[in-house]
Amino acid sequence: MVEPGPQRGWFVFGFRGVAEPPAAGAQRVEPEPGGIRVVRPAWSYTGLVTGRGRLVLRGLLAGPLPGRCRDLLPSESHVLLRRGAALEAWARGAGLCGGPAWRRRLHPGETAGPLPLAPGGYVTPRPPFLHPLPLPARKLVLGHEHAALLGPAGTVYTWGSSRHGQLGHGGLEPVSEPRLVEALHGVPMGDVAAGGWHSVSVSEGGDLYAWGWNESGQLALPCKALAEKRPPAAASVSQHEEPGAGEAELKLVSPKAAPGAEAGDFISIQAFPALLDLPEGSEVSKVSCGSRHTAAVTRTGELYTWGWGKYGQLGHSDTASSDQPRQVGYFPANGLSVEDVVCGPWNTYICAVEK
Amino acid sequence: MSQPSSPEGRARSSSPAADQVSAGNALWADVRALLPSTKKDLKLDFSEKVEESVISLLQQARDLLYGAGSLCSGGTRETCLQVSEIIIDYSWEKLNIGTWRDVDKDWRRVYSYGCLFKVLCMCSEQGTIADAIRVCDMGLLMGASILDNILVRIINVLQKHLTYGKRSAEEDTKESPRKKIRNDHTTIPSVKSEEVIPRLHCPSLEHFRENYMIPQKPVILEGIVDHWPCMKKWSLDYLRQIAGCRTVPVEVGSRYTDEEWSQTLMIVNDFIDQYIVNKNSIGYLAQHQLFDQIPELKQDICIPDYCSLGEGEEDDITINAWFGPEGTISPLHQDPQQNLLVQVIGRKYIRLYSPQESENLYPHETQILHNTSQVDVEDPDLVKFPKFERAAFQACILTPGQVLFIPVKYWHYVRSLDVSFSVSFWWS
Repeated sequence: MVEPGPQRGWFVFGFRGVAEPPAAGAQRVEPEPGGIRVVRPAWSYTGLVTGRGRLVLRGLLAGPLPGRCRDLLPSESHVLLRRGAALEAWARGAGLCGGPAWRRRLHPGETAGPLPLAPGGYVTPRPPFLHPLPLPARKLVLGHEHAALLGPAGTVYTWGSSRHGQLGHGGLEPVSEPRLVEALHGVPMGDVAAGGWHSVSVSEGGDLYAWGWNESGQLALPCKALAEKRPPAAASVSQHEEPGAGEAELKLVSPKAAPGAEAGDFISIQAFPALLDLPEGSEVSKVSCGSRHTAAVTRTGELYTWGWGKYGQLGHSDTASSDQPRQVGYFPANGLSVEDVVCGPWNTYICAVEK
Repeated sequence: MSQPSSPEGRARSSSPAADQVSAGNALWADVRALLPSTKKDLKLDFSEKVEESVISLLQQARDLLYGAGSLCSGGTRETCLQVSEIIIDYSWEKLNIGTWRDVDKDWRRVYSYGCLFKVLCMCSEQGTIADAIRVCDMGLLMGASILDNILVRIINVLQKHLTYGKRSAEEDTKESPRKKIRNDHTTIPSVKSEEVIPRLHCPSLEHFRENYMIPQKPVILEGIVDHWPCMKKWSLDYLRQIAGCRTVPVEVGSRYTDEEWSQTLMIVNDFIDQYIVNKNSIGYLAQHQLFDQIPELKQDICIPDYCSLGEGEEDDITINAWFGPEGTISPLHQDPQQNLLVQVIGRKYIRLYSPQESENLYPHETQILHNTSQVDVEDPDLVKFPKFERAAFQACILTPGQVLFIPVKYWHYVRSLDVSFSVSFWWS
């Protein structure tokens, strides 16, 4: 490359939709003319919106794409697009050929925050697509079976399933309408994120709160499955006869599942928000969650990750999971300061700029 | 569709593939023989719930399996293993979305296929038989039946190969049959005469139906299971021998209403070592359909004729195993089906309350525990639950060979007095 490269660029760690040796390390996202304005990863592909308003798909989905686009919400079944005058849902199976499966015109003057927010409600990537929302919202995030909303005054509301404590109301009963997370009330929040079964928020002051399922350490609280995996480094004798530790993290969920944390000091389910400390008391500016991992950017441009790491999504060039926040060394080592993070289900996209 | 990644993986350089293949060949040939002979016969048909991206991964794994570069080549195996892991991890997430009973069966099938492909990769190299059995068991525990129950058939083959290599280790196991199973220290609750559950010796189906099933009255049946092979055969040694390396769900903590209660998966040998032989904490192999997982054990039991009085087919009868140390407690709860509880090893103290007593039993208010009473039956908090004292009950100490009929919705509390193995039959 002879032309002066852009100072700002996107990078990705983790799963990219195909079988490849895990923990391949950071990969630079191919730049686009006009720059990359929006990054929205689904599981097997990622949607980008360029600075020129063009939609680009990378990964297991590609094909002729509809014209200009402002925002998107991709999934394995449908891709939702916000275009100039309409919201559209395109079936993924058709490779975005033909026409949209669903469309709602946007009237002049109708505005909403980023997807999944929509005028008067929010969208999900499966029929019936549009849902009413009784509250104004700055941001809305979707987990596998729950949703969290950041209100204009920095209050957090959650609803949906709470089987893993992901609503933060203290109970495991489902909630059908947005309900205030009372434990956070009075502390204005600046950002909120939802993982598959966990939720995270950041206060205006840079404090980090997490709640929900800690199955892979995604809450940065002590995780039993990880503790059980740690010792074997010493015991290398007759490993073949040992039950493989690889399955230890698989938990059986039966209809008789009962509430409560696991034995000892380990946390399986955290049903109220827990305040997390990053090393050196770093203040957090942005946070994002994958299906079972979490990533946070500090105000000083560092990236910390924790949770499930099997596909290299934590960016530490290994496949280990971690129940402690660890700083990703790649960026300081390359003279980069992290500005933004967007987690896909099993990967992590980072926007960084040269220092 | 993506291409398999290049075979320059680390695995190849560290493992001299040719040596391993010749050593593992017999196992691989036996397992391979269980598969459909051509790729076309291994159909991957799923509903549209299963996403296209996942189908393409399943097809990729199948293509690698039947392709020219056989699994016995390191690079192909490595790629196939990665694809299998992706399929397992992705479907595992689907299995954990929503309540277990609402999970689409096709996602459970996808999970089983992931386990199948993974175990085939493992069988194509030597030395991982115990691990391979664990993978099959995960497929059986969390997945759904595929390819004429191929995971059970693969386990049969794996166990044969495992025994060849492990004969001497088995002879080392220490417990003699039935030794130490009875416990002499526990205080045995006394059962007052007015609480006694009636006992009958081999009643006719008609008599049982008219006098107990229709009026929904509990009764202990005797003499109906004496001929079952389990009554003589089952011991810790025997269970180790048949099921030692099989993965089973275990409830850890003394009762499922406790804060610290959790579920985990472990192999039967570890379960016996940690919770039956040593007694540091309580672990309970409870409410598990062990006999579907391990058909060999099913040959040791029968289905009581009385279950045929129900309306369902024989396939609708749910058979559960309950195996644990002294001191396991099932808190007072009710089930939605008729239950015949067969006691095979050890004794259990059981209390029964009629459904009419429900309002005296203070069921939990949450949806999840609505079928469970808040009262600790043997140490009730009468200040908090004053009406509990009024509730009339029946009780018994169920001993080996006895069968307790628990009518639908009848509240029951169960505490084991010894190392205990019970088998329950739920029918409608």
